[in-house]
Amino acid sequence: MPEFLLEVGTEELPALDAPVLAAALARTLEQGLEEARLPFQGTEVYWTPRRLAVLVRGVPERQEDLVEEVRGPAVVVGLDADGNPTEAALGFLRKYGASPGDLVRKKVGDKEYLFLRVRTPGRPTGEVLAELVPRAIRALPCRKTMRWDSSGISFLRPIRWLVCLLGGEVLPVKLGSLEAGRVTRGHRFFGPKEVELASPADYVEALRSARVVVDPDERAGMIREAAAQVEAEHGVRALWTEELLGIIVGSLEWPAPVLGEFPAEFLDLPAPVIAAVLHEEGKFVPFARDGEPAPVFLGFRDGKEDERGYVRQGYERVVKARLRDARFFFENDLKRPLAERVPDLRGVVYEARLGTMWDKVQRIREICARLSRYLWAEAADREEFGKLLDRAAFLCKADLTTEMVKEFPELEGVMGGIYARRSGEPEEVARAIEEHLLPRTRADELPETELGTALSLADKLDTVTGAIMIGEVPTGSRDPYGIRRAANAMISLVLRKGLVVDLFDVIDAVAEFYPRLPEGRGPEEVKSFLIERLRYILRDDHRIPHDVVEAVLAVPRGDFSGLLERARALASLRGEASLAEVAQLFERLRNITGDHTETSFDPELFQQEEERELWRAYLRAEGHVRRALEGRDYVGALKALLPLGEPIHRYFERVFVMVEDEGIRRNRLSFLRALLSLFLEIGDLSRLTT
Amino acid sequence: MRSGEKRVRTFQDLVLALHEYWRDRGCVIFEPYDVEKGAGTFNPATFFGCLGPDPWRVAYVEPSRRPTDGRYGENPIRLRLHHQYQVILKPPPPDIQDLYLGSLEYVGIDLREHDVKFSEDDWESPTLGAWGVGWQVWLDEMEITQFTYFQQMGGIDLDPVSVELTYGLERIALFLQGVESAFELRWSEDVKYGEIWHEKERQFSIYNFEQADVERIRRMFELAEAEARACLEAGLVFPAYDHTLHCSHLFNVLDARGAISVAERESYIARIRELARACAQNYLKLLEERRARVLA
Repeated sequence: MPEFLLEVGTEELPALDAPVLAAALARTLEQGLEEARLPFQGTEVYWTPRRLAVLVRGVPERQEDLVEEVRGPAVVVGLDADGNPTEAALGFLRKYGASPGDLVRKKVGDKEYLFLRVRTPGRPTGEVLAELVPRAIRALPCRKTMRWDSSGISFLRPIRWLVCLLGGEVLPVKLGSLEAGRVTRGHRFFGPKEVELASPADYVEALRSARVVVDPDERAGMIREAAAQVEAEHGVRALWTEELLGIIVGSLEWPAPVLGEFPAEFLDLPAPVIAAVLHEEGKFVPFARDGEPAPVFLGFRDGKEDERGYVRQGYERVVKARLRDARFFFENDLKRPLAERVPDLRGVVYEARLGTMWDKVQRIREICARLSRYLWAEAADREEFGKLLDRAAFLCKADLTTEMVKEFPELEGVMGGIYARRSGEPEEVARAIEEHLLPRTRADELPETELGTALSLADKLDTVTGAIMIGEVPTGSRDPYGIRRAANAMISLVLRKGLVVDLFDVIDAVAEFYPRLPEGRGPEEVKSFLIERLRYILRDDHRIPHDVVEAVLAVPRGDFSGLLERARALASLRGEASLAEVAQLFERLRNITGDHTETSFDPELFQQEEERELWRAYLRAEGHVRRALEGRDYVGALKALLPLGEPIHRYFERVFVMVEDEGIRRNRLSFLRALLSLFLEIGDLSRLTT
Repeated sequence: MRSGEKRVRTFQDLVLALHEYWRDRGCVIFEPYDVEKGAGTFNPATFFGCLGPDPWRVAYVEPSRRPTDGRYGENPIRLRLHHQYQVILKPPPPDIQDLYLGSLEYVGIDLREHDVKFSEDDWESPTLGAWGVGWQVWLDEMEITQFTYFQQMGGIDLDPVSVELTYGLERIALFLQGVESAFELRWSEDVKYGEIWHEKERQFSIYNFEQADVERIRRMFELAEAEARACLEAGLVFPAYDHTLHCSHLFNVLDARGAISVAERESYIARIRELARACAQNYLKLLEERRARVLA
């Protein structure tokens, strides 16, 4: 059975997109083949910056014939009294080129119809593929598309050639102005411009001889191997990140390592600065020796070893120039202690309506003052904690005025920490500043220290509150202040750290520090915006079922960790019959109480045994629920509520609430309202779908 | 030894070599446009040249002013004014990448002895209402060119699209001459780059960062904007565009002066973009009315 090869030749694809597109191309082809009744043995996916390729092994020569039963007219219509075909049946036969002898009678429901067994001969695989391929290419999911000629085709980068081979044959595939052939292209500088392929099986090796390694895993192996060799020879450890490896693999057709060195005099620069320089200037791999930066770096040239050392010279020149810049910035920055820079923040605009970075820092300090009442409030050294937190808040934005951060914005925070330490600030303060931008996104790493956590929370809360108070609520894809991301990161910090803090209280307490503008919003909008983000995070990051999220968020609270725990408790008991029963009764309870809000009642006014029974059950449950809530044991609280189901049920069966006597009626409503309030401590159970 | 080393010894040799190369490939060799601007893209030969259906090939040097990049002449490669070599090819030929690489070889860069990478970089100019898709081109990990397939200009979808090649002339000259500071470059055999430009870098940095009078510059912006609008109303698209360029540069000066807040930035950019859009639309109308080439 033949093999099939599709190669889409492109101009350089963005490094991290090519693997996604190649996988999608393979998936679409596989699905297309399966739908076309063309079982195959397997597929292999290859890609480089200049090509996406799929090799399908063991494709049949043609589709199986398709045999289908086709329904024609009903027997009463299709056959006359003598059993001969009528004009209707003859038409049906003509359509499929069949004769009366082929007709079969079959019952559908209680009516009898004429049927034909129709055989559609399988088409040659090449024909099917020639239709499938352009569709598969057009369906590739690009995050951004472009046009490069007037053919109407758009893609992530220009498509310049197509190889489409079934066995030894070129398939007649057209895409825009391109026609598929058997000619691929070798490495841009070190391979032949054109490489003719006799058959799909030649693909990998033919391109290898043309200085292209089409298998990304093999390229990753070559890169790691080169780094391992440096590690062994120089007694150092490569500082990889997944992203760095991905970018290197994705930007080369043939990785050829180039080891560079930089003068040891630069080693007194902080490690994050050296790493920033190496990452920025062309994706070099940094190394460490005994945890300290080592004066070597590894770059990769595309295609061929750097025999004459020109490339190495070029790399070293670029790195040295940038390290020299960095040192210049570092030394200049160190001329002033960090605290002295803080007043300069008055000259750094944060936002016209929200003032300067100085104003932001003042707000962060106010928020921190409130937070330190919640966070780690039991700590004996609470006062000390508050003082250190305030110092860290005071200093946390000062690095924005440094040359280094202006040049390498990704070092914001990190530099603040380094400069704080050098200025003699307490280590805890330096750490907190260093960490205060973490997490940058929902998935990012978290601050390790308590001070860093509190400061991060305060900074993000100010960003979100400020933007919303001046009316900059994100709409659709418009979010110029990055509020969604800030809110997501903040909520993720609270939830992942399990912080017990009432954000709503804090927002109310600091609301006075924000401008009130005609187009602005109030603290309530800040809260509902955060609840919206929480809704999304509970569903997406914590996999809480939709209805449980709705049940819990129907009673919004500022204690987001508590909301998550409530949701988890509900989700864990979701299958239980007693919960389903309570959920059903909840709705009735709410309907009958309506807008009655009074919750104090007099048990002396109860008249029926069912009332007293429910009252006793309520008293038992209430104690348990309150204790459990205090201990943040939401499963316990929920379990204490479940036994109420039966007595409520009996109550509704026997007790008529809306009696004439107003006193009795009001007392009953107040009691039910108290009962409802107890349930609402967990959430609006009527939202549960089980 | 690199093949072209003898020929391209100076900064001006580099310009002349690129002129030759692109002249031989059908480009109009244009001059820098005599209104201040932040990039060669703002030159009418690019802004208007990319609009409309007619083929257009042009190449020129553009001295590009970026007030915020000034370093008082103290940074070896960061300059308030640098020189771009700008090429527009409309429509782009299918072998455009090879053509571009050919120009590097032509000026004396041996591609088989160095490392050239096309690294994703999508370009956008919010003030021009323009965006495109392409790469930064890195030579031994030094950025030397911005390579862009323009998709929109002045808010208008381009058909055909154009390719813009923007060479950083100082960067390439540093590479060819093997020196580390732009001021050390040979401009001609006898004159250094620094002799021409160093004092200007210093003075303009002082001006842009410390001296420029914010209130007066704001007023100048308002005046240029009003003048652009008046020209648009009178159907004078090219004068209107000149004043749009003034607006763009004055905005850059205000920005360098630290006089623009985040919120203001958006509104200033939107005002310039409005003018650019109107210029683009009026230009296309003009093409239609005249039914003839009115070249940028």
